[in-house]
Amino acid sequence: MSVLPADGAGPASAGTDVPDGDVLVRIEHVTKHFPVRTGGLIRRTVGQVQAVDDVSLVIPRGKTLGLVGETGSGKSTLARCVAGLIPVTGGRVTFDGRDITNLSRRAMRPFRRDIQMIFQDPYSSLNPRRRVGAIIGDPFAIHKTATGNERKRQVQELMERVGLNPEHYNRFPAEFSGGQRQRIGVARALALRPKLIICDEPVSALDVSIQAQVLNLLTDLQKDYGLTYLFIAHDLEVVSHVSDSVAVMYLGRIGEVGPEGAVYGSPRHPYTAALLSAAPAADPDTAASRQRIILTGDVPSPIDPPSGCRFHPRCPKAQPLCAEQEPQLEAKPGDVETHQTACHFPVVPGEDLAAAAAGRSEVA
Amino acid sequence: MAIVGFLIRRILTGIVVVWLVSTGAFLLFFARPVDTVARQLAGHAATPQVIQEVINNLGLNQPITVQYWHFIDGLLHGNLGYSYYTQESVNTMIKQDAPATISVVIGATVLWLIAGLSVGIISATRARSAFDRISNVLVLIGLSMPVFVIGELLILVVFVPLNQHGFTWIDTGYAGITQGFGVWTGHMILPWITLAAVQAAVYTRLTRGQLLDTLGEDYIRTARAKGLSERRVVFKHAVRAALTPVVSQLGVDVGQLLGGVVVVEVVFGLGGLGETSVQAIDTDNLPVIIGFVIIAAAFVVIANIVVDLVYAILDPRVRIA
Amino acid sequence: MTSISEIEFEAKGADAAQDSSARVEGRSQWQLTWRRLRSDKVAIGAMIVVAVMVVLAIAAPVFVAITHHPPNIAYPNTGENVAGNPVGPGTNGFWLGTDGTGRDLFIRILYGARISLFVGVVTTAIGTVAGVSIGLMAGYFGGIIDTVLARFTDAVLAFPYIVLALALAVVLGPSLSVIIGVISFFAWAGIARIVRGQTLSIKEKEYIEAARSLGAGPFRIMFSDILPNLLAPVLVLATLYIPQAVVFEATLSYLGLGIQPPTASWGNILADAQNFYQTSWWYVVFPALALLITTLAFNLLGDGIRDAMDPRTERVLAGRRRRRRRRAQVAATSGGSPDFPDSARQATQG
Repeated sequence: MSVLPADGAGPASAGTDVPDGDVLVRIEHVTKHFPVRTGGLIRRTVGQVQAVDDVSLVIPRGKTLGLVGETGSGKSTLARCVAGLIPVTGGRVTFDGRDITNLSRRAMRPFRRDIQMIFQDPYSSLNPRRRVGAIIGDPFAIHKTATGNERKRQVQELMERVGLNPEHYNRFPAEFSGGQRQRIGVARALALRPKLIICDEPVSALDVSIQAQVLNLLTDLQKDYGLTYLFIAHDLEVVSHVSDSVAVMYLGRIGEVGPEGAVYGSPRHPYTAALLSAAPAADPDTAASRQRIILTGDVPSPIDPPSGCRFHPRCPKAQPLCAEQEPQLEAKPGDVETHQTACHFPVVPGEDLAAAAAGRSEVA
Repeated sequence: MAIVGFLIRRILTGIVVVWLVSTGAFLLFFARPVDTVARQLAGHAATPQVIQEVINNLGLNQPITVQYWHFIDGLLHGNLGYSYYTQESVNTMIKQDAPATISVVIGATVLWLIAGLSVGIISATRARSAFDRISNVLVLIGLSMPVFVIGELLILVVFVPLNQHGFTWIDTGYAGITQGFGVWTGHMILPWITLAAVQAAVYTRLTRGQLLDTLGEDYIRTARAKGLSERRVVFKHAVRAALTPVVSQLGVDVGQLLGGVVVVEVVFGLGGLGETSVQAIDTDNLPVIIGFVIIAAAFVVIANIVVDLVYAILDPRVRIA
Repeated sequence: MTSISEIEFEAKGADAAQDSSARVEGRSQWQLTWRRLRSDKVAIGAMIVVAVMVVLAIAAPVFVAITHHPPNIAYPNTGENVAGNPVGPGTNGFWLGTDGTGRDLFIRILYGARISLFVGVVTTAIGTVAGVSIGLMAGYFGGIIDTVLARFTDAVLAFPYIVLALALAVVLGPSLSVIIGVISFFAWAGIARIVRGQTLSIKEKEYIEAARSLGAGPFRIMFSDILPNLLAPVLVLATLYIPQAVVFEATLSYLGLGIQPPTASWGNILADAQNFYQTSWWYVVFPALALLITTLAFNLLGDGIRDAMDPRTERVLAGRRRRRRRRAQVAATSGGSPDFPDSARQATQG
């Protein structure tokens, strides 16, 4: 059931210009607030954690949308809203043309075959007391699509496809390395040939050398099976490697969204620019010549976010307008239609933000 | 004061609990065919006339709701019924039997708390010593034994030989404190030890475990670093923290304790409330059972309130809730 | 102090571990527990005692055939002395003597064992199934279901058993069914409380979230995902409850609320034995010993299983072994390259 506001603001086709039939997931004005309650016998609500606030995104079929942000930006919460694991407080999520917002568990069940998730922690996302074959075979058991030997055969096929030895069918997760465990998670997600896989920081907990392997596996699978990914990470390098379009989240809101090349090549939002400047560059020469934009101040709490643009207390370009008026997502002059930014004073090409940030911190 | 509010709430809850238990008992006993009920109320050896008398006097032919009302009415007036079998009111029987039961409970509780806590504390502070190891073995044995076996073994091994050799201070059966403190303790010492043994084992293990955990905490390390003497560290800081789970365990244990009291009374022939109730089974004497159930419920409720009070005093965080 | 070759060896070892075929098959939790248990002498001893008890109880009719003394037949001539009191152990073919009416005490103890073990196991089984189910549901569903179930569990735990036993005995008459009913009624509560606690913490784990995202329903999650993680503590609880049930049954029979004579139960044997303190010590001692040995054995076994399942003990011991070996190794080598690194030596020595 849609939880849209009464004025029914239309969906923003953010990130890519795509006809409706090619859109797999449409996220419209999704909001998720967690109530903060006092302890004790009678619990009163004393505040709201505004984890996700009016987020609208579009994920086209067969493509990857990367979602970047710091811890606390709300990206994991948004992922779980899309997966239907937590109910949304407002907005609508549409999958393959159908409204899946806040469906009951029973109504959501058929969609669970098409929407799967890969989790961040390879050590806690697999049940330590069950054998790997059973874990990967779970989807078949739950949706009753294969039993007995047929199930075993399919599980072993999956294991082979993700790069595991099918003979390890009866082993326990503890006998595998972190990278292998993530492969088990991938196999489990792949079992029912879903349409959408939501990857919640799938490589953050892995060694760098293993990260590449798993990422390559994911891109291969996408080609082979026509998968659509919502790829969440905080590491910009990883996101750029796999994403067709990228959205940057800050404190529950989308700051900037667009094709990967555009966002990385010419970031318009000061926050995006700061993130990119902080990412380690592989080439030491480039790294030496790059200026880091250092942000001042702490990340505010999502219970009491700043007024207007949520980034304004730390933004090197902040003006009084930023504290009063919340900027809307729109394409800035010089950008393609699909590259949208929510900023009153976006970064212009050639601007030296590092100096502005340094100057601001002297004043502060 | 918060304590007063707390007390009032607990007392009200307690009254509700006693009421619920009484109602449950009432339904269990009285919602049966009239004849069965009448015979059990009249007692084992009742003649048909007495049974009829019982039916009339107690209105057993009336609808159950009316009977229930009479029942509650009687309770509120402090009347627990009449035992036809022994031809006396249940209240009288309770008055006669109570002293023995109270003696057992108080003496045993004092004994096991002292023994359990002190052995537990000493074991924890001297972990892995000979004392600790021996006491662990004794605790294990104590936990494995039923109360009545300990009682019988004590009689066999202590009372009988002593008695046979003319040493008669230790005796079975009950003697009230009015007969002299020495006589009283002589009769009560074995029952006290029997009841206390199992409970002491439980509390020794509990205290030792809790104290060992607490002694490993950082704030104890700080206290030691401050230069406080070991005894002060242990008693003033560690024990107080370790005591709270012990106290809360007490509340849960009251039920076990009640069973233990009954068993001890039977083993040593003390004739208290417990033994009388058990005998009532043999004689099909229902009024006594009903009286016992209600008294037991009231006792458990009161004991729990006392325990909660002590807990609230020990742990200031609890008082507000 | 490691040489180059040692580092190479370890690096190769890491690769080999990733390699698939011909590796040592990893051990399940149960296999590891069993290995630890095997080396615990006290636990093994307890297991043997329990096994012997069970065998003796099952083989009771065999002993009847050997001694020609059925459990409920009194022998006033050979079984009682001149004063009408029981005869002592070894007299007239009564291995442990006789009881108050001249019946073979040993045989009656064996038949009492049957009752005790039967009641112990059955009530524990009922209590475990009920307790696990209730604990799982309370912990997983939370909310009002949890509040109601948890309060109910607490009430049962605090309830004085004697009151229920008396009430049921008066209404239904003392019998085996009453005993099983009463004991089972209290058995589930302790288990439910612990299972509920474990469930509460397990349900926050990511693999449970993963199961939900796959579309698993609550019951599937409870019994396929949460339950396997509970089996270990539940096994310990069940093993430790059996002796409590045995003691419970003996106490109720002793008070006359359970098994009635002439059927033999350790409780009612010991009740009658109270009349013969002065004359027949064996009448008290042997049944008491039987009870004590049985409960002690189950308690020790339960403690042993609990220790065997707790890897913390294992890590402490392994740490000590490793330190000892490392010290020995350093002392033994003469400064040249060592043959094997520590881990390999440990592996070969198990």
